[in-house]
Amino acid sequence: MERFLLLTLAGVAFFGTCVLGQTSKAPDFSGYWERHDDVGGGSFGGIFDKIVPKAELKPEVIEENRRTAARQAAGDVVAFGSKWCLTLSYPFFMQHSAAWSIVQNEKEIVQVHEVHAFARHIYMDGRPHPPAALLNPSTTGHSIGHFEDDTLVVDTVGFIGGNTPGGGKIGPGTHLTERFRVVDGGKKLAVNFTWSDPAYYVKPHTYTLEYYRSEPGTYAYEEYCHADDPKQSGSVVPPAQK
Amino acid sequence: MTMKPLLLLVAAPLAFAQTPDISGFWELHFDSRNVPEASLTPDAAKMVREQRAHDAHAIRWCYNFGVPFLMGMTPFDVIQNSSGKEVAITFPYRGPSRHVYTDGRKHVNPDVFDPSSSGDSVGHWEGNTLVVDTIGFSDEGIIGIPGGGQRSSTSHLVERYRLVKGGQQLSVTFTWEDPKVFTKPHTYEFRYFRAPKGTEAREYDCNASDEERAKFLTGPPGQ
Repeated sequence: MERFLLLTLAGVAFFGTCVLGQTSKAPDFSGYWERHDDVGGGSFGGIFDKIVPKAELKPEVIEENRRTAARQAAGDVVAFGSKWCLTLSYPFFMQHSAAWSIVQNEKEIVQVHEVHAFARHIYMDGRPHPPAALLNPSTTGHSIGHFEDDTLVVDTVGFIGGNTPGGGKIGPGTHLTERFRVVDGGKKLAVNFTWSDPAYYVKPHTYTLEYYRSEPGTYAYEEYCHADDPKQSGSVVPPAQK
Repeated sequence: MTMKPLLLLVAAPLAFAQTPDISGFWELHFDSRNVPEASLTPDAAKMVREQRAHDAHAIRWCYNFGVPFLMGMTPFDVIQNSSGKEVAITFPYRGPSRHVYTDGRKHVNPDVFDPSSSGDSVGHWEGNTLVVDTIGFSDEGIIGIPGGGQRSSTSHLVERYRLVKGGQQLSVTFTWEDPKVFTKPHTYEFRYFRAPKGTEAREYDCNASDEERAKFLTGPPGQ
C-alpha cells in the first residue's frame, strides 16, 4: 500500500513539475540580469570599445555618419532624445547599467526594465510575424521566439529605428536574431546579437554581451525623466540651428 | 521510511498547480467599472483642483504615469512567471511595468525603498485569488484615484485578482487606505475582458517635444 502511495505521489509531482512548471524542457531565464565591467572598459559605454566589433557599414552610411559627426563638431545638436526624454528603443536597455528582468511562461517571455521605454514581448506560442502590410513599426519591434535545446532564439522585425553598439544602425528593414543562453552554471546569461539590413550593413553585425544574475531579492527601481526640468538638458545648451 | 520529504516534494508543484493562470492580455469595456464615490477627508477634498493640475502636468510632460492610472489603460498584459515567483503587468504606455513579487518576500524596508509611481508590490494566493499588497508610492505621475482622492506616500493599496465567467473575465477589486485622504477604505472593482486570441502589445508613445500636442493639451479647446 505504501509503495503504491509513493508511486502515485511521485507521479503527481512529476506531472505538476513538467506540465505546469514546464521546466523540464524550457530553460528558466527568469530573474534579474545586469552588466558588469569584466574588461576594464571604465564605463558601460567604454566596455563596447573592447568587446563589440565595429559594424561594417555601406559606404553611403559611413559618409552620412561623417557628415553628422562634422555638424556635431561644429556645434549643432544632432540628437534631442535625452533633453526631451524621448522613448528609448531596443536594444538600449540591454546596454544600460541598470538590471533588467525576464518574466517567462510557456506562451510568452517578457523583458522588463527600469528606463522610459516599452517592455519587450517575445511571443513563444508559435505565431509568425504579421505580414509586412499589417506590421506596426515599434521601438521594440515584433519578436517571436523558440527554444533550440538550451538556447532561446529570438527573431525580430518591425523596428522604427535606432542604433546598436559598434556603430550599427536600425531601420524599418532591419532584422535581428538573438540567441540567449545561460552559462557558467546559471550565473550568467550570454546574448548573441546579429543585426542585418541591406540598407546599412555590408555584412551582418554580430556581437555577444554577457549579463550576471542579480542577487536574490533584487527588485525593480523606477527611473524618472522630466523633460520640463531644466537640469534634464544637462550641459547641452542648444545653439542656434542653421 | 518516513514519507515527509516526499510529501514536501509533492506539495510544492501541487501548490503551484492550484494557482489559476491569469496570464494574457486584458481590456476594459464600457461597462467594466464599478466605482463608488470615495469618502474623503476635508483636506483631501480641498486638493481636487491641485490633483487635476498635477495629473495634467504629468500627461503634458510624459512622466511615468503609475498606479492606479495604468490599471485603467488597456489592453495590458499579465505575465505569470512559470516559476511562480513573480507576476508582471506591462502596459501599452511606456514606462516602468508593474512587478508583483510572489516569492514570499516581504516589502522592501521603507527606509531604503525609493518611492515610485507604482510602489512596491508583493503578492500571494488565497485560494483562487491573487492578493497584491502595495506601499511605497511617490507623487510621480498621475495620482488621481477612481472615485476621488489621490495616492500619496502614506497610501496602502490591496488588490484582489480573480478569474470570473469561466476565465473570460478578470475581476480586480482595489482597496485604498490612507488616513490623510480617505475617512474609510475606498474600494472599487474593475472587470477586465480577456482580449481576443492573437492580441499583441501596442506602443502608444508620448513625445513631450511635440509642440502641436502641447498646444492641444494646454491651450483653449478648439484652437
